[in-house]
Amino acid sequence: MTQLNPKRLLNITLFELTRLFLTKRGLLAVAAFTICWLLILRYPVGQAVSTMSSPELAAVAQHIFGVIGLSKLLMWPEAELAMYWLIALYSFPIFCLFLCSDQIVGDRQRGTLRFLSLRATRTEILFGRFLGQVLILAILITITLVATVATLAFRESSLLLSGLNRSLVLFFYLVVTVLPFIALMTFLNTIARSSRLTVIMAILFFAVGNIVVSLMSWQLPIFAILNYIFPGVQLEQVAGQNADLFSSIGIPLLQTVVLLVAAQRIFSRSSL
Amino acid sequence: MSTLIQANGLSKQYGAKLALDQVSFEVKKGAPVALVGPNGAGKTTLFSLLCGYIMPTSGSLSIVGHRPGASALFGKLSALPQDAQLDPRFSIAHQLTFYGQLQGLTTKQSQSEALRVLELVGLAEVAKQRSDDLSHGMRKRVTIGQALIGKPEIVMLDEATAGLDPIHAREVRELVSNLSEEATFILSSHDLTELERLCGQVLHLDKGKITEHQANSNIEQTQHHMTILFAENYPNIEQSIQSLAAVNRVYMSQAKEYVVEYQKTASLFDIELLKYCHQQGWRYRQLVNGHTLENQIFTQEKI
Repeated sequence: MTQLNPKRLLNITLFELTRLFLTKRGLLAVAAFTICWLLILRYPVGQAVSTMSSPELAAVAQHIFGVIGLSKLLMWPEAELAMYWLIALYSFPIFCLFLCSDQIVGDRQRGTLRFLSLRATRTEILFGRFLGQVLILAILITITLVATVATLAFRESSLLLSGLNRSLVLFFYLVVTVLPFIALMTFLNTIARSSRLTVIMAILFFAVGNIVVSLMSWQLPIFAILNYIFPGVQLEQVAGQNADLFSSIGIPLLQTVVLLVAAQRIFSRSSL
Repeated sequence: MSTLIQANGLSKQYGAKLALDQVSFEVKKGAPVALVGPNGAGKTTLFSLLCGYIMPTSGSLSIVGHRPGASALFGKLSALPQDAQLDPRFSIAHQLTFYGQLQGLTTKQSQSEALRVLELVGLAEVAKQRSDDLSHGMRKRVTIGQALIGKPEIVMLDEATAGLDPIHAREVRELVSNLSEEATFILSSHDLTELERLCGQVLHLDKGKITEHQANSNIEQTQHHMTILFAENYPNIEQSIQSLAAVNRVYMSQAKEYVVEYQKTASLFDIELLKYCHQQGWRYRQLVNGHTLENQIFTQEKI
């Protein structure tokens, strides 16, 4: 059951794309996402330059950004991308908790997994679905980035090339950032009984988990290390471009691997 | 005949409940195999073990030399699991094509295979519809169709005709009968008459144990029994038939149904019996050479 056949893995991954773009529910999610991002592009991103460089707000912005470690972002000539980066870095992980809430749990309840498991190994199904979600998120990130660069180029066409270069880097970091969030939902899909329950479990994990770890590390500081079990632990540092390579890439990748291995172990032993 | 399935000392425990208790059997390539038993006997548990959906608590199970769920069985073994449904968000053809692709067919081959199996179950016209748009019976037939994708060697159908109207149940039986040259079917059903028509081998599960494991057409066992079903009740049937020279014993197995045990040496006993019935003015509905499957399973202790 641990066998991974690349062709079957690819088939399952690509099938996930049709789930988002060819089903009513998927298209509704895409429509809601598009409207949200149109508003984001129109207001915070579209007006980023005037907000960041206006004489009245510049001093305040610099002070606030400095305090929260974001002062490097103010130096970007592509102000739209700086605003995009801040919004996307926090919104995509939250969005993917909902988008990726039903990876296998619905099919398991309906019995559809019984048809699938006679044609693909459980590992292929699990990882295929995970990769499918990664692909969907990557496509959505690409679309929003292209729209942001278009907004940027509309304001100042000379920034198009540098904007494209920077958006490639941002794309890479955003995809790496959402990986452990998707993997967390993959893991929760192996133990929950419904997609709604996976979302509730994810929220409880972050809310209650953070409280528990805070209390524990208040009693004994060494427990602060437990913060590394939470996807997004590095977000604050990454947002201001102050994180080292291990924090910005190593931590999310490690979390992803651990969550996927745990999910695979549980799923390969569970009853369908 | 090559062995397809070999089970040895197979047990499955759910908490305190022993669903399967040291079950051993062998299925060879050939005629359909029936899996019968009352509700809760362990039929679906055995199906789930054969498909690799659950793991046995103890014992071994080998399907054409592989463990259940092994990738070597993809495309060779297929199943209609009880109550499993296709995803209602996709069209039926889209999902069946996807299943074909997973089994190693190209996109084009998968598309024509999806249509072929839908035609087999008489539902080619619903290919573009979603499973939610179909009736219960149509959904069942579509899921039977998915079990036929890629012409598998072993097809397991759990309660395939349950919930189907008589016409479509008959079509499914005909389908199984027609395809039984290409694939070995394992069928579970409560309809013993249906299984009797289709199957050669019967696995009878009761309280987690296999209590029957015999071929329905076993000549040694059936050649000196006849089961006759009359159209109505007639007085003193047992005593009357008992008076025939070759008859050893007559007993009523069910209402209007009698089992006649006769001497093996008696030739053309069936003709003699029917002539006798005609003389007596008894109208018969059915004559079975041997025991009916129902009697074999449920009333054998009377014999």
